[in-house]
Amino acid sequence: MASLKAFIIARVLALIPTVLILITLVFFVMRVLPGDPVIAIVGMKAPPERVIELKKELGLMDEAGNPIPLPIQYLNYLSKLARGDFGRSLIWGKRPVLVEIMEHFPATVELAIAGFIVSIILGLLLGSLGGWMGGKTSSAVKTYGAITYALFIPWIGMLLQLFFAVWLGILPVAGRIDTGLEPPTITGLYLIDSVITGRWDSFISALRHITLPALTLGLVISGVFTRVTRTSVEEVMRQDFVVAARARGIPEHKILLHVLKNSFVPILTMMGLQLALLMTGAVLTETTFSWPGMGTFLLERIQYRDYTTVQGTVVFFAIIVSLVNLIVDICYAYIDPRIRY
Amino acid sequence: MMGKYAKKRLAVSTAVAAVGIVIALIVGLIGGYFAGSMAAAPATATVTVTETVGAKTVTSTVEKTITSTVEKTVTSVKTVPAGPAVSRIVIGVTDKVTDIDPSNAYDFYTWEVLSNIMGGLMRYAPGTTELEPGLATGYTVSPDGKEYTFRLRPNLYFADGTPMTAEDVVRSVKRVMEINGDPAWLVTDFVKDVVAVDDHTVKFILKKPVAFFPALVATPPYFPVHPAYKPKEIDSDQTAGGVGPYRIVKWVRDVELVLEANPYWWQGAPKTKQIVIKFFKDATALRMALEAGEIDIAWRTLRPTDIQDLKGKKGIKVIEVPGAYIRYIIFNTKIPPFDNPLVRKALAAAVNRKAICERVFLGTTTPLYSMIPIGMWSHKDSFLEKYGEHNLELAKKLLKEAGYSETNKLKVELWYTPTHYGDTEVDVATLIKEAWEETGMVEVTLKSAEWTTYLEYTRKGMLGATLYGWYPDYIDPDDYTSPWVNASWTGYAYSNPELIKILEEASVKPTLAERAKLYEKAQDIWAEDAAIVPIFQGKLAVAVREGVEGVILDPTMLFRYWLIYKAS
Repeated sequence: MASLKAFIIARVLALIPTVLILITLVFFVMRVLPGDPVIAIVGMKAPPERVIELKKELGLMDEAGNPIPLPIQYLNYLSKLARGDFGRSLIWGKRPVLVEIMEHFPATVELAIAGFIVSIILGLLLGSLGGWMGGKTSSAVKTYGAITYALFIPWIGMLLQLFFAVWLGILPVAGRIDTGLEPPTITGLYLIDSVITGRWDSFISALRHITLPALTLGLVISGVFTRVTRTSVEEVMRQDFVVAARARGIPEHKILLHVLKNSFVPILTMMGLQLALLMTGAVLTETTFSWPGMGTFLLERIQYRDYTTVQGTVVFFAIIVSLVNLIVDICYAYIDPRIRY
Repeated sequence: MMGKYAKKRLAVSTAVAAVGIVIALIVGLIGGYFAGSMAAAPATATVTVTETVGAKTVTSTVEKTITSTVEKTVTSVKTVPAGPAVSRIVIGVTDKVTDIDPSNAYDFYTWEVLSNIMGGLMRYAPGTTELEPGLATGYTVSPDGKEYTFRLRPNLYFADGTPMTAEDVVRSVKRVMEINGDPAWLVTDFVKDVVAVDDHTVKFILKKPVAFFPALVATPPYFPVHPAYKPKEIDSDQTAGGVGPYRIVKWVRDVELVLEANPYWWQGAPKTKQIVIKFFKDATALRMALEAGEIDIAWRTLRPTDIQDLKGKKGIKVIEVPGAYIRYIIFNTKIPPFDNPLVRKALAAAVNRKAICERVFLGTTTPLYSMIPIGMWSHKDSFLEKYGEHNLELAKKLLKEAGYSETNKLKVELWYTPTHYGDTEVDVATLIKEAWEETGMVEVTLKSAEWTTYLEYTRKGMLGATLYGWYPDYIDPDDYTSPWVNASWTGYAYSNPELIKILEEASVKPTLAERAKLYEKAQDIWAEDAAIVPIFQGKLAVAVREGVEGVILDPTMLFRYWLIYKAS
């Protein structure tokens, strides 16, 4: 266990330079882009005095009206960040960035988990089917993986909306829950909160709303899982213990369970890696379904050139993804005893 | 050949796949199906406002004294259509609410929301651009035109029942001046001071005579706000509102805004008890939500193709009216070749406005031949009179006079931004390029820049020909003319001493007739200079489900929620 502890400490320490590099990149990229973000905020009708006033307020200009050099702005930002201050948004009430993030994060987590579950189910089922059956089934599954991976989220989302919401009328087009049915906030995840508080009308409404976005996101991401599962199962199927098991007359479904267990390490690795893709996919899914999560929030703030919020959100994402990857890495040790540190 | 193992494998796989599909798809769908019927129940209709709904008649009087000896009285009688009340109407939009604070809100949609939860001393009569009394019963103007005194209605209350007096108007207007947010210039450029003469009388002392001051008073920066608003800073998410037909009962940014009828409103609580605004990220989802019956009204902003499609749908009604939104080309008169009036005139003559409106916007916009929009008093088709429509012969003649020919072509760059005016912008630019090149004497290079860059380059005067749009601040010809003359934001400072003199005169003349005459003259000079060339005027389109009544739109582009209701 000592080696595992050392590994965890090393990984946590490695997070610091990773996040620092990311902060630096985002900070400078946002500022070297052409176009003045202050003008983007105040609009084209604002008089020049108002622009200067806001620049001073934002720490981009000193009291004498001279621009503050970028490195100084950067150091100021780092110093605040070190104190846990993500800064304040530049627009709409200039609220603390962390507060804004925490308002949107639960929606994304809920969608990501639901999409992830759908993708795992589809990926594991179809992947194992292809790997186990081989031949034409394997080719079909391979094609499925390629097609779903290439699917454009707004397109497939729109098709699902059209079919289930407009034509059949059984699921809603957009949103997260019906007006007035929000459960009391405990975790911020409506499905869980409604179960905890026993609000079944809320649970059903939340389930109805999450079904289409989760299906869309899950379907697109399932392509990757399908491919990895299929390849992994095919490899394991070729191993001696499968032949031996069949020679002993062990029922096929029991053999399948053993095969799946042995195929799981690469699938788990892929799960960790897919988190980044989930977040990317969430931006498009959230936009298509007007899902009030981090994706739409980030996209909107990029459009408004809200420096501090974009920086804060990216840093937050980086920390979350790194932490989840760390957890996945630790999980390997328990699943595959061959992995040592 | 399929062996024993293969058959078993197939059987097991099929069973597993079936179970998987059930888990992944059917559970959610069946749940959704059963929930559908549950959700259809009015689970959220919890409004407790009591009001007898029926035909209502509101009578209001305006007193306007131009001099101490002249008095003018206008009486308007407005009948709100009768109809049985339905508790809730859901409106879908792709717009967003920025600051629910008139001291900093400076976008059309937020102004619309503010106009429904607050009110001004004056307001626009629905369906027109005519001013009518709002919180005031009327006003008087001092002989020098620099003092406007408004008399408030008796018994005005904020949405929580707190009485509203002239002091609240003073506090709110001074708050806007103190905070000095984005729209503050609408107050600070004109108002020197504001005082409460007594509880029901408020006096504005202006820096100079402003003929359109009543129109300014109808804008949100002049709206009295509840004392709960922070006195010296922007209160972006404050929901206390002002004296309006509705009050906010729920506000989740970018998700939904729930409004409830204000029982204390001076006109009586509106007949629709609850208005829910749903915020969509995507116009396609907005359209589908209307078709699916999730929303009753699809408001700003549907795509032109969706508007066309919805027109033919059963159970859906599309209402279109001219909007006060205009688009135009700015020529930088300091940069060659646009410093040559002949070049500008030639390009103005060659523009094919009809093609843009028909091909790009499928008829959802109207060709515009003046900066002052169609439907506004004093509007005159000066550009049409002077240059005609897509007049290639005149364009060629002018270009020849300027020294260009088929072999010595005029080379110009036309700039547009793909990130501010929608997906159609590139098509607008392409059609302008096509029209100019049809002369055979012009070669156009299209260039684009992201919105912030575009604005910055424009401000610095780096761009020759650019495409821009304008949403009015107040509904008056002044707002469609003065902002471009000697304006630094355009980077080119279009200046014509004669035009400046006329516009200044028009802004102080007390009568509409006198002002209209001056603006007509200004439009002719505008066309003659051809420094800014109008292209088209937007139409407002709203799609409503059958049974929704009382939708009244006008060029103010503000949707009055208090007039809409569902006929059962």
